[in-house]
Amino acid sequence: MATKREKPSSGSIGDGVATETVEEGQISWAEFRKGFTETLPLWLGIVPFGLAYALAARTAGLGPVEIQAMSIMVYAGASQLTAASLFAAGAGGCSIILATLLVNLRHLLFATSLTESLRQFSLLKKMALAFSLTDASYVLTIERVLSGQAGPGLLWGANMSLYVCWQVSTLAGLLVGGVIPDTIGAGLQLVFPLSFAVLLAPSLTSRSNWAAAVVAGGLALIVQLTLGGSWYLLIAALGGCLAGMLVEGRPERKAII
Amino acid sequence: MDVWLIILGMTLVTYLTRVLPLVAMRNGPGPLVSRALRFVPTAVMSALVVPALLLPAGRFQVSASLWAGLTGAAIAWRTHNMFLTLLGGLGAYTILRLMGIV
Repeated sequence: MATKREKPSSGSIGDGVATETVEEGQISWAEFRKGFTETLPLWLGIVPFGLAYALAARTAGLGPVEIQAMSIMVYAGASQLTAASLFAAGAGGCSIILATLLVNLRHLLFATSLTESLRQFSLLKKMALAFSLTDASYVLTIERVLSGQAGPGLLWGANMSLYVCWQVSTLAGLLVGGVIPDTIGAGLQLVFPLSFAVLLAPSLTSRSNWAAAVVAGGLALIVQLTLGGSWYLLIAALGGCLAGMLVEGRPERKAII
Repeated sequence: MDVWLIILGMTLVTYLTRVLPLVAMRNGPGPLVSRALRFVPTAVMSALVVPALLLPAGRFQVSASLWAGLTGAAIAWRTHNMFLTLLGGLGAYTILRLMGIV
């Protein structure tokens, strides 16, 4: 039987959502709208990333329809940039799909932490919400969702806002792609590593993360210089995780993320 | 492999990472696996950045790409800003090329 969830009436971050009562397993559209609008400032940070992806995928030789379709269907920026760089390097389909899986493994953690909050939701709703689950919307809303201050509608709204942004910025990158001068064009290979450097820098907050990054980077260099191919990702990821865990030692008791 | 097949494969594996825990898992993964998974993003991003910056042509070579890449990485490190980083890195590359450095 559905139980009712009352919003905390005071001291809540979600104070714009009035005193609506939402059935468990239902989406609050007020929260959805709040999540959507709250995420709008993030568009500024995502648009250049979308432009970079579209430009990179173009230089890798992908067609505009394929580039936009990848944004619509895959919807995962880092892995789309990875795929573009692997397409450019002439990698095989299996390597590209495997790299995509590796880069996106972090979603498992996000989704895992949400299992409890979404328990009352129908299978269809879970499947719909999962499709657009992404780092930024997760990070922005997860504390309120896990603490029960807000329902999953907040996360869903944030998800959809960033989904729209990603489509628009991919399209914008396709439209301006033709007018990029050739002098810059040759430097576009730098777009991949630099975009990832921007994502990597904020994650180096602890000794264990540093260990993971240093070992993974070193392994990637060694494997690239010896074996070549794109297997360096798998080897470096495994080595990096191991190093991170070893340096971390015994975990303190704390919640996921 | 056909590009569309690759995109379909990417779609499938990406969606699985998002939906599998929600539809298949009651209690989450074991503690050891959870701990290991936390390091995946950092490790993978580092594995993508380091060789691409230091071995832009597949081997170590002092070049415009190397210097521009290191410039961009320094900006990324200081600012965490995508726009400034790409502007600085691509700008440095363009300037070096205009100066005749290859």
